[in-house]
This record gives sequence, C-alpha cells and structure tokens, in this order.
Amino acid sequence: MLHYTLRRLLAIIPVLFIVSIIVFMIVHLTPGNPAYLILGEDSSPEAIEQLEQQLGLDKPKVIQYFDWLGNIFVGDLGQSIYSEQAVTQIIVERLGPTFSLMVISMLLTIIVAIPTAIFIVWKRNTVLDPLFLSGSLLGTSIPEFWLALLLVLGLGVSVPIFPVAGYIPITDGLLGWLHHLLLPGIVLAAVEVGLIARMLRDSMLESVNQDYTKTARGKGVKESTVLMKHVFSNALIPTTTVIGVTVAGLLGGTVIIETIFTIPGVGQLLIDSIHRRDYPVIQGVVLFVAFVYVLINLIVDLLYAFLDPRIRYD
Amino acid sequence: MRLEKTLKLFAILIFTLILVACSNGSSSEETGEGNSAAEEKQTGGTLDVAYTSEPDTLDIMSNASSPTRDIAWHIFETLVALDKDFAVKPMIAEDYSASDDQKVYTITIRDDVNFHNGTTVGAEDVVASIERWRLVSSVGKVASEYIEDVKAIDELTVEITLNEVYNGLLDDMAAPKTGLAIIPKEIAEEAGEKPLVPEQLIGTGPYQFEKWERGNEIVLTRFDDYSQREEADWGGLTGKKEAILDQINFLIVKDPQVKLNGLKTNLYDYAQNIPTDLYEVIETTPNINPVTYINGYSMITPDKSEPPFDDLKVRQALHYALDKEAIAQSTYGNEEFYEMDGALFDPTQTELYTAEGTDTYLEYDPEKAKELLNESDYNGEPITIMYSNNNEAYKRISQVAEQQLEEVGFTVELEPYEWATYLEKWQEPHNWDIVVIGYSTRFSPNELGFLVQDTGSSGWYNSERWSELMTQWGLAASSEERQKILKEMNQTVYDELPFLKVANETTLDIMSDEIQEYDAWIGPRFWNTYKNE
Repeated sequence: MLHYTLRRLLAIIPVLFIVSIIVFMIVHLTPGNPAYLILGEDSSPEAIEQLEQQLGLDKPKVIQYFDWLGNIFVGDLGQSIYSEQAVTQIIVERLGPTFSLMVISMLLTIIVAIPTAIFIVWKRNTVLDPLFLSGSLLGTSIPEFWLALLLVLGLGVSVPIFPVAGYIPITDGLLGWLHHLLLPGIVLAAVEVGLIARMLRDSMLESVNQDYTKTARGKGVKESTVLMKHVFSNALIPTTTVIGVTVAGLLGGTVIIETIFTIPGVGQLLIDSIHRRDYPVIQGVVLFVAFVYVLINLIVDLLYAFLDPRIRYD
Repeated sequence: MRLEKTLKLFAILIFTLILVACSNGSSSEETGEGNSAAEEKQTGGTLDVAYTSEPDTLDIMSNASSPTRDIAWHIFETLVALDKDFAVKPMIAEDYSASDDQKVYTITIRDDVNFHNGTTVGAEDVVASIERWRLVSSVGKVASEYIEDVKAIDELTVEITLNEVYNGLLDDMAAPKTGLAIIPKEIAEEAGEKPLVPEQLIGTGPYQFEKWERGNEIVLTRFDDYSQREEADWGGLTGKKEAILDQINFLIVKDPQVKLNGLKTNLYDYAQNIPTDLYEVIETTPNINPVTYINGYSMITPDKSEPPFDDLKVRQALHYALDKEAIAQSTYGNEEFYEMDGALFDPTQTELYTAEGTDTYLEYDPEKAKELLNESDYNGEPITIMYSNNNEAYKRISQVAEQQLEEVGFTVELEPYEWATYLEKWQEPHNWDIVVIGYSTRFSPNELGFLVQDTGSSGWYNSERWSELMTQWGLAASSEERQKILKEMNQTVYDELPFLKVANETTLDIMSDEIQEYDAWIGPRFWNTYKNE
C-alpha cells in the first residue's frame, strides 16, 4: 500500500510537468500584454518597453518558461504582476471561500443524495422511481446561473431571508458564514445531487438482484439490512469516484456561482487574472488546480481499498 | 432513535437560521425610512459601495484609471485641485503666485496639514512629491519638460522654476487623474518609480486607507485629525471636505443585477456603473435614486498612417457618411444618457468649453461621401473596424457605422476583441483602419490622449497645426486667449478629422435614499455626505 501510494505520488510529477508546458504555452500565446494594461491607453511605446523589461517579458519565451519551472521546484510560483504578492499566498487567500463553498455544497449533496437514492431503491417498483429519474435529470440539466438568479430573486429580494451576495469568513462567525453560503451551496448542490443520487441508485439496482442479496433474503434478513449492508456498500465504489471528480471539479468550476454571489474565490481569481493577463497567477492557479485534481483522484483510489477489502494494490 | 435525534437537531438548526435571517431582514428594513431632508445630520455609520472593477493600485499619481481615482481621491489630496466648475483652486496649498515673467511659481503650504501617519506636510514633502510626480505621472512627465528646478524656500514655501513660460503647470498639478498628490518625503523617495504599495498609502485626505482584501474589498476609515478647509462652496476636489461617515467599504461587485438586488435589500448603499437600460427599473424602485455623471465621449478614430485614411478626402467621406445622431440614438437609447455636442470638452467645463469651430459636427451627406470616395484612390478594399467587446456602446456604434459606411461604398469588416487583446492590437497600424473607443472626461488639452501626436491612441495623427496650438496653449495666460485657442483646436479637429466624435456620454450609478446631501460631480465622492439610518 505504501509502495503503491509513493509510486502514485511520483507519477504526479510528469503530469504536472505536462500541465505546466500546456498552460505556459496557452497563456503566452494568447494575444494581450500586461504592460499595455498596466500603463493604460495613453502609454508611450518606450514606457511599454521599459515595463516589459522590468517584468521580464522581453526575455525569450523558453527562458521565461525554465525560469518559472526552476522556481516551482523550490515551491515558488512567482508573484503577481499587479499586486506583487506571492502567487502561493494569493491562492491560499482565495482558497478559503472556494473551499467553504465546496464543503457546504458537498455536505448538502451527500445529505440529500444518499438517503434519496436508498429510499428510491427501496421503493424501486413504485411510481416514485420514474419520478426520481425525471427529477434527477431536471436537477443536472438546470443551468446553474438561472437557478442562482431565481433563488436570489425569491429568497434574497422578494422574501429577504438570505443576503443576495457577499462572503464572510468562518473566522468572523459561523452563522454569518453559513448564512452567506447557503444559497450558492444549494445551487451547486442541485446539480450534483441529481448526478450522484442517480449514480448511486443505478449501481445499487445492479446488485439488488445479485445472488448474494438473494441468499441474504433467503436467510430471512430484513430488506432494510440487505439494502444497507449488502447493496449499499457494494454500490459505494462508483459513487465515490463520481464524488471525487465532483469535488475536484468544484475547485475551478464555481466561477459562475462565485460571480453571481460575489464570492472572492479561486474561480474569480482565475477569471480576473486572465482578463489582466497576470501570467504568474494564471499559471499558478491552473497548476494548483491540476495538482489537487490528481491528488483527489489518488485519494479516491486509496479509498477503494478501504471501502472494498477485496481491492489490494500491492 | 439516533435518526430522530439527528432530525431534531437539523430542524433546530434550520429554525435558528431562519430566525437569524428574518431578524437581519427586519432590522435593515427599518432603516429604509429616513428620506425627509429635514432630518438631522447623522455622524458615523458605514457606507457599502458596490464598485465594478478592482483598481490595480491606489497610487493616484501613477495610475490614470478611473477605479484608482474614485477610491484614492478619498485618501490623497493635491497641492492645488479643481473646484466644481473645474477651475484650479488651492487645496493643500495656502496660496500660489507666479513671477512677472511667469517662470517662477511660489507656492505656500497651509500650516498644520496632517498626514495619516501623524506627521504634518512640510515643503520637503512637497518637493519630494513633485520629484516623484515628474517620474511617474503622465501629466507630470509633460510638465517636467518645463520644470528646471524645485526647491524648498522655508518650512512652508516651495519655489518652482521653469525653463520657459508654461501656463499649463497648475492644471497639470490639479489633474484629477495622476495629479500632484502630496505624500510624505520618505515614502516618495522610497517608492520612486514603483507604484505605492498598501503600506505606503499615506495621504492627507478625509479618509485613510485601512485594508485591502484583493478581489473582495477596500476599506477606508475616517481620518480624525483631518485638516479641513472652510470653503463650503468650492466643491469638486477642494474646499470643505467633512468626513462624516466612520467607514467606507468599496466592495468589488461585477454583476449589475447583483448591485441592484443588493441596493434593494440594503446590502449596499451605493452601486457604481449600472447599465443605462436599467434606468426605468431604477426610477420605479422606491428606495433607490439614480445618480448621473458626465463621462467623456465616444469616438471613431481612423488610422492616418496608412491608406485609405491617410488621405483627407477619404476621412471626409467617412465624416459625411456617418449619421451621428442615428448612431447615438441606437447606441444609447435614452436621451438622458447622451448629448450631441461636437466640442473637445464638456459644456459643464466652463473654462474649457466652446462650441465654436464645431459647426460641421453633424453634417451628414451620403451623396457627398460617395463623390469624395470616387475622387479618392479608395477602390473598395475591405477596411477593418476594431473595437473592444467589453463595452456595449462601442459594439453598437461599430455595427451601425458598418451599415452606414457600406451604403456609401466602403467595404467593412468588424473585428471585436477582448480588452487586453484590443490594447495590444491597437498599437500596430496594420491591425486596423478604424477603432471605436471612448475617453473619459479630460481637464486640459494636455490630457487629450487621443490627440497625442504619432501614437496608436491618436491613430498616428501628425499635425503641425495641432502641435503649434499645444505650444500656444502652454503660453496662453488669460482666459480670452485660451478660449481663442480652444476654438481653433475644435476647428482643427473638424478640418483635419483625426477622429470623429460620436456623442457625449453620461454614466449611471445608483444610491440608497438613506444617503443625504450627495453631490454628483465626475465620480463618486463620499465626503460631506452621510447616511440617515
């Protein structure tokens, strides 16, 4: 197990290396230049040249790339062209809101999705099943921004229960934090619930009529125990995969929700940095998201062994 | 059993949440009533401002962007500043005078003007600030060419010696963007050419810098030791500035719908930059008032370095082919938000405005345009109209102009770009033939970036006539002389057509009716204003 984990951790390096080449190329091949943006519309060519020199943008691209790469190995992602803050520090600052949003939406998702799926499998031969199918389809198909605007109008403006926008760090009060994040959390959860509940239902239904469940029922085990102990545990593997991918996706995929609710998270940071051509920040954020993505996948793989004792990696 | 407990807990949690939410809601509703002007002025309170774009820096000396200006002018003050009629008045200065040959300016500083760090402004600080301003400010660089020497005469007197007569000096120092803000000597020397970092944001303004959470908010607090002037009728950026609020939060909010909802629910007190399409919604919303500002004008600039527009005839054809009233009408819609005026400055800028020389502004004659095109060397080669798609107005102007130009025989291609790409493409003549762009209100001919000779911003405009007028402007001493030059400037623009003005623009902000005695000028200023809660 340890051996496997180490091997997988080492495998992250080539992945990140490839990501670094791709992101560097995309960022630097996109037209636009931070020097023009910083100096504004009335700037002189000499001033632009001077600033480019200061920012190191006049060096050949290959050299710029290797300078950057060299610094990454010592944990330095460079500093923002605009605020001159270290990129790592900026990411850490923005991680709080995004992470909070992830936690709340995932909690909501799991609280709703898992009991619903189990309940539906229990009532699998009733009218509830097709109702659930269309419901989950609706959940995944609803555009996030539309649902967000609707909820804001309903629960923010018409009946002002929740604030329409903003973010309060958890350190400033748990209730305020929750109060601000519940609406965006619900919107994100609405999409994920459909997906995860559907996934869980399908994989549970697959094992509902397997021989071992039949045997269990034959032994006289209660249906609820059969479902929870035998069917549910076996269905957890594919569901864990989906949950893992969803969590990783939320890290960079909350841009729209962060914009609508003005939450200063990683998604906002990425968009702002792209508009400003803040190269070190764009590169740092993409690399960081890629890293977390790979890491979550690794954790999911390791969880398999925990969830299913038959799976052994060594 | 356990499930029951969990359910109970969950129900309690939800219930408390709703309670909290409701109590928040009702307490903020109570505040929505104070709208009679007779109520007493309330000191204190926090003003939440929803601001669209985060500034790159708050260094008002080096950065000419509006976000920098709108926030930083609460923190910094200039030696001399514009009043509400855009005339130069003393601010940190007590008085100023020029020698008989107009080459030596003596400026005295008010006694006991406090910096936010506890020190007071002395002549040394002013000298150091001027030296930095000459390095980092776009107008400061212009002025710098005329400045021979700056020295402190005594504790509160500074003398500026010029190498030749230059009457634009005070205007340059008073520029609302990149003007001569006074900062402590150590900071000016430490920062040099680099923009000021947050720890260096020490000015003399009524509000001081508190904190900046990138991507989220900038917080200013009242400066209790502010050295207030007494002139209540000056307005603009000088005269009496009273910091009545305790705190101003500039929150970065991009989405207009969020701003509107935020104002409706008392989350924000003020929101900047609202699409004018929402004007009617705002007028009918009870607790929200609209605020409007002049905001420069939109223009169509041809590239004068290459065919076809290097030929004045083709530029004249362009001029006659465009029905500017129709363009403005379909671009801005509501007449509250645009004005057909052909001058280089805004009518409210009494010192700089003249309508003379703009008679041909609205000439529209497609037949004449066709004739002129036939006489020229232009043979239907495609011309490129480039614009930034971040701005709805430029997009619409481009689209209407395309139609009108094709009617007289131009072949037109539209090329929209995102702002950063646009800025880069703008600097190369082969990328475009026409750009559609807007410039915010300017306060001196030196600041007309779209007429600076031989740059991408002016479409590589090269005119001896214009350069001569700029020199004369620097020499002109009296208001009459200046008016004469301004008239000639207008005339030059319509004779040589370096750009074609479309229309004066007005922008829309919104504020809660709790805000009292707010005075709209050219951008949001929150001194002398307060909240009735």
